[in-house]
Amino acid sequence: MKKLFNLEKIKALSYPAFKTLMIIHFLLFFLVILVVSRWHITIPGFSVKGLYQFPNIWTFFPWVASWFNIFLTIVLITLVGNEFAFKTFRQNVIDGLSRNDLIAGKLILIFTVAVYTFLMVLIAVLIFGLIKTDGLTAGKVFEHVHLLFVYFIQAIGYMTLGLLFAMIFRNTALSIIMFILYFPIEGIIRLFFKQEARRFFPLKIISNLTPRPEILTMTSEQSYTNASGTSSLDLTEMGLLPEELPLGVTVVVALGYIGFFIGMSLLLINKRNL
Amino acid sequence: MHFASLFQLFIKRLLVETVLKINNLSKNYGNIQAVKNVSFEIKKGEVYGILGPNGSGKTTTLAVVLGILQANAGNFQWFGQPLSKHTRRRIGSLVETPNFYPYLTLWENLKIVAKIKDAPEDDINYALGVANLLKRKHTNFGYLSLGMKQRMSMASVLIGNPEVLVLDEPTNGLDPEGFAEVRHIIQTQAKEGKTIILASHILDEVEKVCSHAAILKSGELIANGKVGELLSTEETVYVQAEKLDELMKLLNDSEIASKTYMSDEDLAVVLHSNYKSADLSKFCFEQGYPLSKIVVKKQSLEEQFLQLVK
Repeated sequence: MKKLFNLEKIKALSYPAFKTLMIIHFLLFFLVILVVSRWHITIPGFSVKGLYQFPNIWTFFPWVASWFNIFLTIVLITLVGNEFAFKTFRQNVIDGLSRNDLIAGKLILIFTVAVYTFLMVLIAVLIFGLIKTDGLTAGKVFEHVHLLFVYFIQAIGYMTLGLLFAMIFRNTALSIIMFILYFPIEGIIRLFFKQEARRFFPLKIISNLTPRPEILTMTSEQSYTNASGTSSLDLTEMGLLPEELPLGVTVVVALGYIGFFIGMSLLLINKRNL
Repeated sequence: MHFASLFQLFIKRLLVETVLKINNLSKNYGNIQAVKNVSFEIKKGEVYGILGPNGSGKTTTLAVVLGILQANAGNFQWFGQPLSKHTRRRIGSLVETPNFYPYLTLWENLKIVAKIKDAPEDDINYALGVANLLKRKHTNFGYLSLGMKQRMSMASVLIGNPEVLVLDEPTNGLDPEGFAEVRHIIQTQAKEGKTIILASHILDEVEKVCSHAAILKSGELIANGKVGELLSTEETVYVQAEKLDELMKLLNDSEIASKTYMSDEDLAVVLHSNYKSADLSKFCFEQGYPLSKIVVKKQSLEEQFLQLVK
């Protein structure tokens, strides 16, 4: 484990493109949240400040960061694609790693990158939340903190899916293109299924881990939330099936998909020539 | 030879560890059978050459036994065991092209190899020194010339002081100086008692370096054994006479020659092992074809190789 971590550390941290892309990722995230914090909504009674206050910030920041998970996945695909392009996976096996070690190494990399982005969002939440929230209480600060952990699972979900694409196509450019194309492709495929089934597709499940914040509710200075604290728009009461499953179910299904992506990656590396 | 010494030799042979044993190995690429039922055995301390023209299955055979490619049939064992992480670390391998991270320095690349093999970092400087690349240790691999990349591969093979070196075309892309350096490294490692498996199309190299050799043609093993034995099995006699065409036909129908072919102006006659050049001369004279020239030559490995793969 430690050996694989050290190997991935040398491979990734000495790769100039990786360092550059990670710095860009970090700067872009902070740039977006800084720019949004400066927005002024001209609708009377609404303020962006609500998004930066506890507990809303636990929903808003992971949601913003979730867009950058796609960026991280592309970085991960690049690193795995390099291993095929440089034939270094092959050399690593010749030198003494098992094929399973190759996947284990990349999973360690995925976990490490997910920890990095988790910490990045956590630090951002704490900085902005503590500055922008009036009347801080422990209850208010820690309410919805679980959404950050769900965001962590999402980061792993996207990157394990990226790993699977890289294992299937073994070419950086093709894997990235297919990964990006998979978003609209899955969207189209979903249309052919009943609404109950649509909610269980892999990308739908993974993206639903960080649900879109109810911006209007959060930015309203006079709360739009009802007495139970949920949205004033209750779809089930309106006779509509919500697009999202309950968060707990989504997490369980997402973990199942992560297991499937890892299993398929292991199967491919073991069955195919290097 | 005395019975006791024969028995001792037999026991010694039995006790010598088998490093690699291949049984009926086959590998297909779609409809193309790259390796067909290949079987051979390599003992500890042997310098084993694998010869064959391009596409004969040399690299594929090595790639299968190193676990890079999956065999379609047959099996192989390293040190009497299936290939595992543990057995891999006892083997240093160079297969086809040098495979390293171009954005990492030589030292960083070898650090990865050393970590995989659980070898000390001291090995890195030693290996770079042997490959004459110590001054380039902080240069990115991508900036090296082809010859230097090949020497870098040799350096990586030496990391972890492996018992077996598997070298696939190790002199590819090297200039004469680099060629000599690599040959020197191989010979030095062989003297240290390492088992070396060398796939090469440079027959002179195999002849000079190897104790044993296998010859592959279109994925099939067509000959193997000690290089000395491969060389001495057949004697070729180059002759000149009138009516060479008729003589060639006559010899082909006789018991004396196993094969005849034209070599430049001469008729080359490969004799069966129980015949000598004197027997050939006598036979030709008796048949009315007195020889005006007779040159006896043991075939070089190259000549035998070319004959075998024809």
